[in-house]
Amino acid sequence: MSDLAICTNALSKQFNGQGGCQDISLQVQKGVIYGFIGPNGAGKSTFVRTLLGLLHPSGGSAEILGKPLGNLEARRKIGYLPELFRYPDWLTGIQLLHIHADLLGLKDSSLSTHISGLLDTVGLRGREKEKIGKYSKGMQQRIGLACALLGNPELIFLDEPTSALDPLGRLEVRNLLTTLRREGKTVFLNSHLLMEIETICDEIAIINQGKLIVQGDWRKLSRINNRYRLIASGLTAQMLEKCSLVLGYEQKDPSTKDPLNACEWILEIKAMEDIPSLLGIMHELGVRVYELTPVEPHLEEIFLYWINRKEPNNVDHC
Amino acid sequence: MWTIAKMTFQEILYKKIFLIALLMTLAYLLLYAIATHYAGSAYAEDMNRMQKAGKEFASMQQYVLGSQLLSTGLYFSNFITGLLAVLASAGSIAGSIENHQIDPVLTRPLSRSSMILGKFVGLGSIMTIYALSFFSLIILINKFLGGPFGLHLNFLSTIKAGVLFACISLTIIAPALCLSTSFSTLNSGIILIILYGMSFVGGFVEQLGNLINKTALINIGIISSLVFPADSLFRGMNYVLMSSNDDRFKLIDLANMGLFFGSTPPSNIMLFYCGFYTMVFLFLAVNTFKRRDI
Repeated sequence: MSDLAICTNALSKQFNGQGGCQDISLQVQKGVIYGFIGPNGAGKSTFVRTLLGLLHPSGGSAEILGKPLGNLEARRKIGYLPELFRYPDWLTGIQLLHIHADLLGLKDSSLSTHISGLLDTVGLRGREKEKIGKYSKGMQQRIGLACALLGNPELIFLDEPTSALDPLGRLEVRNLLTTLRREGKTVFLNSHLLMEIETICDEIAIINQGKLIVQGDWRKLSRINNRYRLIASGLTAQMLEKCSLVLGYEQKDPSTKDPLNACEWILEIKAMEDIPSLLGIMHELGVRVYELTPVEPHLEEIFLYWINRKEPNNVDHC
Repeated sequence: MWTIAKMTFQEILYKKIFLIALLMTLAYLLLYAIATHYAGSAYAEDMNRMQKAGKEFASMQQYVLGSQLLSTGLYFSNFITGLLAVLASAGSIAGSIENHQIDPVLTRPLSRSSMILGKFVGLGSIMTIYALSFFSLIILINKFLGGPFGLHLNFLSTIKAGVLFACISLTIIAPALCLSTSFSTLNSGIILIILYGMSFVGGFVEQLGNLINKTALINIGIISSLVFPADSLFRGMNYVLMSSNDDRFKLIDLANMGLFFGSTPPSNIMLFYCGFYTMVFLFLAVNTFKRRDI
């Protein structure tokens, strides 16, 4: 059996030859939280909707849980929370879940327990008999999430799952996603909220203008530069100018000096292997180094780096 | 498919338009019942007065008025039922695509054909119940409140007519679903109402053509009934309903004097055509929906 939850091969969906997504080939391992990010209008939702069979691909092929797109057996194991979540406002929360359970063919005696558990998970216990029309936007997103988790799906597509939630709700969803990963489920998270992706995703793919820019382990993707935070005394800008190992530097707030007379610098060096040499040079110059730590770039920086790096013609795999 | 049918059935019940239609239906039935009752009472008084005076009363007039009163009642009932079928089904697919409610449903293990067939079964069921109730109440009003206008309808003919009356909605729902898979709710609604209106006008023109024996007018009616057979089915239904044997008069001949009547019984070919028409539109709806991007 394949270890891939999603495998696409040059999957494209364009509208009259324009927009959408083009030639997207990606592999999502089972049991990971996969972040799919890109600027607005990059084609993220189009890609997800194509995978779910809502849009017909204009080219390429794809497999979901080892089955071709649109396969009903595979759909039984898929959960989906749409970006534009709208549920019939005349139904109550519990009626909606029962209808979706019917659609999934769930009829066993444990269904009520399963639904109760989901209501607890999404924090809607006690509100399930209210009409969805009376739910706040956040509550509608929560019932949508419960709907997506109905039937213990193996693969869950979440399209902007926290867009309507307050900070507490977002934290709850992040915790929920971590729990899902622990249970071995695969989560395909489509979001433009980079913090969400940064906090929980194992792997990411970045898409821009409908094309895949890069995909892979996000920790590897984050190695976009060699920036280090240095705390030292006796170091001057002139010394750094003369040092060929240093590509760039920045002195952080020189007015605040500690009792050691040390200053904080951000240095960009050629490679991590140059650190011993750099420290040797500093020692010779009489610089006293107290701390040297790598600066982890934020996903925002990584995102902008990959987006602006080049035209999306060759996909990088990290 | 059955889940979608059940959901569609419930959805219509919850829609405000259905509640409004139900209230308006009750208001109409009340008005029709009052009118029938007073018309019957007034006519009965005239009958008594004339019989006391020893004059022969024109029973034929009684039957003409009775059949026309019933035909008019059923005609407007059919109009309301048809309009409700249009309003309920024009946005059944398009509306849920427009508001994205269909997205999570279509990602379930459900084929697109099941979605369309489920919608058809759900809409068809509720419209059948509505049409049959409406039809029965009009017949009962005529029977029990019509006095001298109460017609002696044959039971079997009435059942057959009721079935035809209910089928009219199905011939509207199928093309409505088909349009709804391709066009927006508003566009589908406009197209359907135009077709529906055209079918009525075509029916009048055909009946006029029959009365004055003009083939061109009859052909216009036939063409319009081929495009949208709702009115043709209604006229056929009316013919079947009035096909009751009466001791002195043939109701068919009397009812045929009105504009709401069909001059010929619904042929098997016409009935087959209506079934075929419904199937073709359902087939087209399924195919269009299968190909459509959501």
